[in-house]
Amino acid sequence: MSTPASMTWQKNPALAWREIDDETVIISPNDSVMHELNDTGSFLWKNIDGKKSAAELAELLAENYEVTPDVALSDTQALLEEMSSRKLVVTVPATGGVSP
Amino acid sequence: MDGLISRTVQKHRPLSVHFDLTYRCNERCVHCYLDHDDHGELTTAECLKVLEDLARSGTLFLTFSGGEIFLRPDLYEILAAARRLHFDISLKSNALLVTAERAARLREFGVRRVQISVYSDVPAIHDAITKVPGSLERTLAAIPILLEHGLQVKLACPLMQENLMAYRGVMALAEKLGVPYILDLTITPMMDGSSGPLEHRASVSSLLPVLRDPVLHACKPQPSSAAASTMDALPSTFGSAVSSGIESAAYEDLPCSAGHNSCYISPYGDVFPCVQLPQAAGNLRREKFEDIWYHAPQLERLRAIRESQLPICSQCEIRSYCERCPGLALMEGGDMLGAYERACALAEEKAKLAGVSAPISALHLKQNTALVLATVEAEFASLATDSSSD
Repeated sequence: MSTPASMTWQKNPALAWREIDDETVIISPNDSVMHELNDTGSFLWKNIDGKKSAAELAELLAENYEVTPDVALSDTQALLEEMSSRKLVVTVPATGGVSP
Repeated sequence: MDGLISRTVQKHRPLSVHFDLTYRCNERCVHCYLDHDDHGELTTAECLKVLEDLARSGTLFLTFSGGEIFLRPDLYEILAAARRLHFDISLKSNALLVTAERAARLREFGVRRVQISVYSDVPAIHDAITKVPGSLERTLAAIPILLEHGLQVKLACPLMQENLMAYRGVMALAEKLGVPYILDLTITPMMDGSSGPLEHRASVSSLLPVLRDPVLHACKPQPSSAAASTMDALPSTFGSAVSSGIESAAYEDLPCSAGHNSCYISPYGDVFPCVQLPQAAGNLRREKFEDIWYHAPQLERLRAIRESQLPICSQCEIRSYCERCPGLALMEGGDMLGAYERACALAEEKAKLAGVSAPISALHLKQNTALVLATVEAEFASLATDSSSD
């Protein structure tokens, strides 16, 4: 089951990462695994700030790339879920703080 | 990883930076290439400014080293800044000053890996190299502490005359600790060019038992046990184990990564292509990192070098066995583009071990040809003298 589109996301603070020429490289220090995000993945990564929900991120994606709002939401949620499974992002509970 | 290496090499992004915070050290290793006096280290504020410049320029992999980094009283302040700027942080240390509290702080500041120099599993050998009695015991005591705090540890063992046959003990030690290791045959001159450390370098002939050891060929240490995996999102994202990337095909016709996507910064702010290539491209007290990295003539010249165009080495039939280093070519042979004796001799031995019949490097071939020509000329001259005197 996917996380609600209203859920707010933030980057895992333990990560090392760098945007290099519109692509983002992320290192998870615990397992030394490197992840690379392409242009659109990097765009979303930059905007994951602990304040925006998946729906808001999708809206930004649709505004900046030639995708329909439905596709943007579906792609955004898919990426967030995938990154969440890899512990690159975490949801922010309504009360604030980071949920595991 | 290959894609990242290719992109950063092509666009000259400084992906990896080795930043020595101090040359001061609490050991006095016999083979060390550094002057341990403090000649005016970058201040904390200057270090933080360097880190900001590096982050803006695209550096991800940052190695802090020395000297002994724990001798920098502002180490944690610098690490905290590196953490805020999202670097992947590694340290090199002799670990003499590691305590549980310090290990916890390294972890807190996001340090991923600590590389520790271990010269032998025998205290008398290790301590004779570091010139600090009890240093092996203290160094080894630090390793479980670091591991318990979630830091990765890697052993580095430079091999020289004093510890040449100690590598098996270090390998066994690494295996017992469950950590990777690296054996290094490189002993370099001092950074000012003086040759003191080379007195400790093992001769090529004495290295032969090491080069022939089947254990070294059967057991290649890996930097990480993490499994590579793939993910398919928007539309291409993937995970892979982080490695040095030095084996990447992106460097195919380049001597190495130096100046292409990596560089070295001294405690005094000098920017070099590599710690083994001591030609300063600029100083961060006077110039911005970006201005040095993208415009220094020294770096532009280095970037133009292609192995296939080297005057001697491009003709060499055993190039694939050679680990020529442009820095050592400069320091030992006086020419960054040239061949140098030690690399050629080692390449010949490695080629022999691989089954190549009578391998000879282009440098030695040229020297032999010159010798033959000189002998023939001398004989002709002698004959001419004889006939004129007749």
